Parts: sequence; C-alpha cells; structure tokens
Amino acid sequence: MKEFLQLAIPGLMIGGLYSLVAAAIVLVYKSTRVVSLAHGQLLAFGGLFFWIGLVVLHLPLPISILLALVSSTIMGWLVERITLRPLIGQPLISAFLMTFAIFMALDGVFQLILKGESKTYATLLSLGEFEVVGVPIRVVQLISFAVVLLVFLLLALFFRFTKTGLGMRATAEDHQLSQSTGINVRTIFSLIWIISAIVASVAGMGTAYVMDIHFPLPYIGIKGLIVALFGGLDSLPGALLAGLILGILENLFAGYLDPLVGGGLKDVAAYVLLLIVLLVKPYGLFGLKRIERV
Amino acid sequence: MRPCGTFDERYSQDMAILRIKRHWGLLIGALILLYLFPLFGSYYFISLVNSLCIGIIIVLGLQIVSGYCGQISFGQAAFMAVGAYTSAILTGKVGLSFFLALPISGIVAGLIGLGGGAPSLRIKGFYLAMATIAIHFVVMWLIPHLDITGKTQGLHPPAPQIGSFTFDSDEKIYYIIVTVMLLMTYGARNMVRTRVGRAFVAIRDNDLAAEVMGIELYRYKLLAFFISCFYAGIAGSLWAHWIQVVHPEQFTLLHALNYIGMLIVGGGGSIPGVFFGVIFLRLLDEGVMFAAPLLASIFPWIGIHPAASMSVSVFGIVLIIFLIYEPRGLAHRWEIFKTSYRLYPFSH
Repeated sequence: MKEFLQLAIPGLMIGGLYSLVAAAIVLVYKSTRVVSLAHGQLLAFGGLFFWIGLVVLHLPLPISILLALVSSTIMGWLVERITLRPLIGQPLISAFLMTFAIFMALDGVFQLILKGESKTYATLLSLGEFEVVGVPIRVVQLISFAVVLLVFLLLALFFRFTKTGLGMRATAEDHQLSQSTGINVRTIFSLIWIISAIVASVAGMGTAYVMDIHFPLPYIGIKGLIVALFGGLDSLPGALLAGLILGILENLFAGYLDPLVGGGLKDVAAYVLLLIVLLVKPYGLFGLKRIERV
Repeated sequence: MRPCGTFDERYSQDMAILRIKRHWGLLIGALILLYLFPLFGSYYFISLVNSLCIGIIIVLGLQIVSGYCGQISFGQAAFMAVGAYTSAILTGKVGLSFFLALPISGIVAGLIGLGGGAPSLRIKGFYLAMATIAIHFVVMWLIPHLDITGKTQGLHPPAPQIGSFTFDSDEKIYYIIVTVMLLMTYGARNMVRTRVGRAFVAIRDNDLAAEVMGIELYRYKLLAFFISCFYAGIAGSLWAHWIQVVHPEQFTLLHALNYIGMLIVGGGGSIPGVFFGVIFLRLLDEGVMFAAPLLASIFPWIGIHPAASMSVSVFGIVLIIFLIYEPRGLAHRWEIFKTSYRLYPFSH
C-alpha cells in the first residue's frame, strides 16, 4: 500500500499539470474547432519566461509570475492573429497542420535560447517537504496542485457567470448563429487563444519546476493532447479527470512494470493508453459524438 | 509540359506520360546526366543526392497515404526504422543478400504498417494523426528494448555486394539508390492512375460518399497504409546500407514531422510535388547549415552551434508561409506553369 501511494501521489500532482495543458487545448477546440499541437510551446515558453524573470533578471516571485503571464498573453494573441486567423474557413485539418508548423517554428527559438542546456529554478523555490502516511510530499507540488484546481474553478466561474463566457459557449455551439446574435466571433477567437495561452503558461511554470526547462519540455503538449482526447475534446471536467488518471497510471506503469521490461515505460504508457482509447472510445470519456453527413 | 497544338487522337496518346519526342529526349538526357553524375560530382553533392533520393522515396509513400488517400500519418519515421532494422538483421545476422533483404524489409514494414492503419476503421482526420503519433512512440520504444536489434547500441549492416564487387562508398551505392528511387517513382506515378489510385482520391475527397459508390473503405485505407509503409521500409533499408549504422536516434518524431512538412510544401496529391517539396526543404536546410555559422559570428549571443535549432525554426516558418499563401504547394505553381506553357503564344 505504501509503495502504491508513493507512486500514486506524485502521479496525481503531475496529473494535475497535464489536465491544465489539456484544459488549454480543450478551450481552443471548443470555440474554434482547431486541435492544437502548439500548446506544448506555449507551455514551454511560460516556464521559460518565468525562469528569465526569476533567475536571469532577479525579479521577485510575484513579478516574475506576472511577467510570464503577460508575455504568454502576447504570445497567444500573436499566434492567433498571425497564423490562425488567415485560415478561418479553410479545412480544419490545415489549421491542425498550422499548429504543428507553429510548434516547429517556436521549437527552434526555444532550443536557440536553451543552447542545449537545462535550466532550473527548483533550488530557488524549495519550501521543504512533509510526510503523509509515509509518503514525502513537496510543499511546492502541493501548491501547484492547488493552483491547478483554482484555475479550473476560475474557468468554470468565468464560463458560467460572465457575458464573455456566455459568448464563448455560444461560439462553441455554432459560429454562424452566434455571429448573427451579435457576438464578434473573431474577438472570441482571440480571447480564447489568450486565455488558453495563460492556462498553458501556468501549467508550464509548474511543469518546468518538476522536470526543469530542457529540450523535451514542449513535448508535454503532446501529452496534454492525449489527455484532452482521453477526456473528450470538448469537455473541461473530462480534461481534469483524464489528466489525473494519466498522471497516476504513468507512475504506476513505471513503478510496477519497468523492472520487468527494462525501463522507459513511463513515456510509452500514455501512447498505449491513447491507442486503446482511440480504438475503444474515439470520442473520449465525456466527449460529444459527432454524426456526419455527406 | 506539352507545347501548344498537341492533340490526343487515340487513348494510348491520352494515357502516355511521355507524350512527344521532346519528352523522350529530356528523359534520356536527364537519365544520362543522373547516372554519370558520380564521375564529375564532388563527394558532398553525391551524398546530398543520395539523401534527397531516400527522402523522395519516403515522401512518395506519405504522398500516397496522405496526399492521395487523405489519411495523415506521422508514423513514417518509425516505419522507416522498421525497414532499416529488418534489412540490417537480415543481412548482418541471417546473412541474406542485400538485394533480397531490400524488398523483404519493405514488405515487413508494410505488414507492420497494416497495424498502423488498423485504427483508421474507426477514426479519421486528426484522431488518426494522433494514433499514428502513438504508434511512432510505441514502435520506437520497442526497438531498443528487443534483443535482436542490438538494444541501444544499434546495428552495423554490411555494404551491399554482387559477387566480389562491394558497394561500399557513396559513389557506388549512389547507383543502387538512384535506380530504386526511379523505379519507386515510376510505380507511384502509375499506381495513382489506376483503379486503386482513383479509389484513394475518392476516399480523400469524401469517405462516406466513396463508400456509397462501392469502394470498400477499410480495404483501401489499409492498402494505402501498406503501400506507404512499404515505401518507408525500402527507404529505411537503403538508408541503413548507405550509412551502415542503424540507431534508434536516427528515426525521431522530428524526422516524421519533416516528411509531413515536405508534403505540405510540395503539395498534396501530386507526384512531382514530392520532388519539389523534398528538394526545396533539403536545400533550405543546407542553406541554413551554411548561413548559421556566419550568423553566429555576427551575433555571438545565439551560441556556437545554432544550425540545428535554426533549421527547425526556418522549417516551421516556411510551413506557416506555405499554409497561408500557397496551401496547394509548389505543385500548384507547376500546374499553372504547365498550363500557361501549353497556351504559350496565345493568352488563353
């Protein structure tokens, strides 16, 4: 039991971050019908900006967080404005390929800034750890998990109680109908990208703390996509639940099966899960099934 | 490339790829130039042409499954790895001749590719693309964990041999690679004009409508995956015996993404597009490799070795530009040029 908890609890903490990335992807998909690979980069740059503020510029913690959020706001807006707006009305698959092109373009910049090194701020923020039933838990991880839940709560409140949130929900239903009720769909698209970039950068700050800023960080975006698919591409609660499940499963796979097959299962577990989900339940746990007509 | 005033009077003329005498002349001239190239080309250019040819074979496969059949596949690098490893094992451990191992590795990659195509029964579009990414990672995880593949050290396949003649240098294996590339291109060019190729196009344009027309969706989708992975396997085998090292790190997701990019730049649904895409992006890559040290000496803050990351960035930016301004790729420009050449002295 102790071993199980030792694997499951850190898994849960990481899983929270996965669900946050997935939430960013779900937000974009719900409103714009674009499935985004680019969020891995938005996440990585969130972590990078935070690191620049904290370590390079020696800013205090709240200001570096603010710096990261503001820069990712600008990035989210630029990505939508420059690359995705010209594609409105084009086939959705070309928008998907566009997000992949954005991923590549930003990946080069990311690697150029890193220069093959790995940046860390873990030592600056170690707040110690405590034990629950014999499982050590780092305080920072707990804080990041709380932040994840807070972001989900804020998103839920935003969509439930604000007028813009209502407009976004309407846009998710039907673009033309919402346009004809006076919602500016383009503004909504911009806003959605900005919000999802902010959510992704929050996830990035948390993820970069756990696994440092180095070259595989953007590929967390692919994991976020897996989580989003698993939970259902248009369901925020699905993203939360699926992220937690994937986080735990990954660690359990790695902990129990790695000695048997010789390592590396942690990264493959997610993809095996994805294949099973796609074959058994292609629309995910809570996703809407779409019916097609010729 | 037909000049003004060539009319088709018989079906055989309509079907001919080489329609007029000038085509034959150009083809024979180009072939002679291609085969005599190692006699005067430098080492750098010969290996460049080798890698171009291998890229063309892979992207031809991708063109068939994605450009013609409309099923986007991110698994091409993994299937190339399957071909490379199969060939390396067959020649190195079993002792088969390279010329037997080449088709076998294509078929093995194709059969494993059927597994990759299996999800296409239930899912399509972006979902299928994600499934192929998953397959890429599963295959690339399996390879270094099996005993037969030499674990993480990789394998060292021997150079191909006929009798006592060994194709052990870039110039010698050039002939094998170019010949195989020409055969594969010829095969693809003709395949897409047959019943099968037309069925692929119907599936791409609207799969439900295609099914109503009597095309067995699943069979043709699987066939497309088989052919595409066959091409990847052949390319992998050639690659293995050219470089003579097979290692899991040679086949990353980044490579697969690169092939997709070549397809986008070249243009989907066109065989000449493959050539344009591969050559354009490879030359761009070479250009960046050449320019990067120069830039690094002018702006020292970008680091000593910016080439790899810069080429990734340039690749992404080129893709963005193409997706916005020329979504049908360079092949579309080529079609426009051909049409205007055909009208040449007249305006329309």
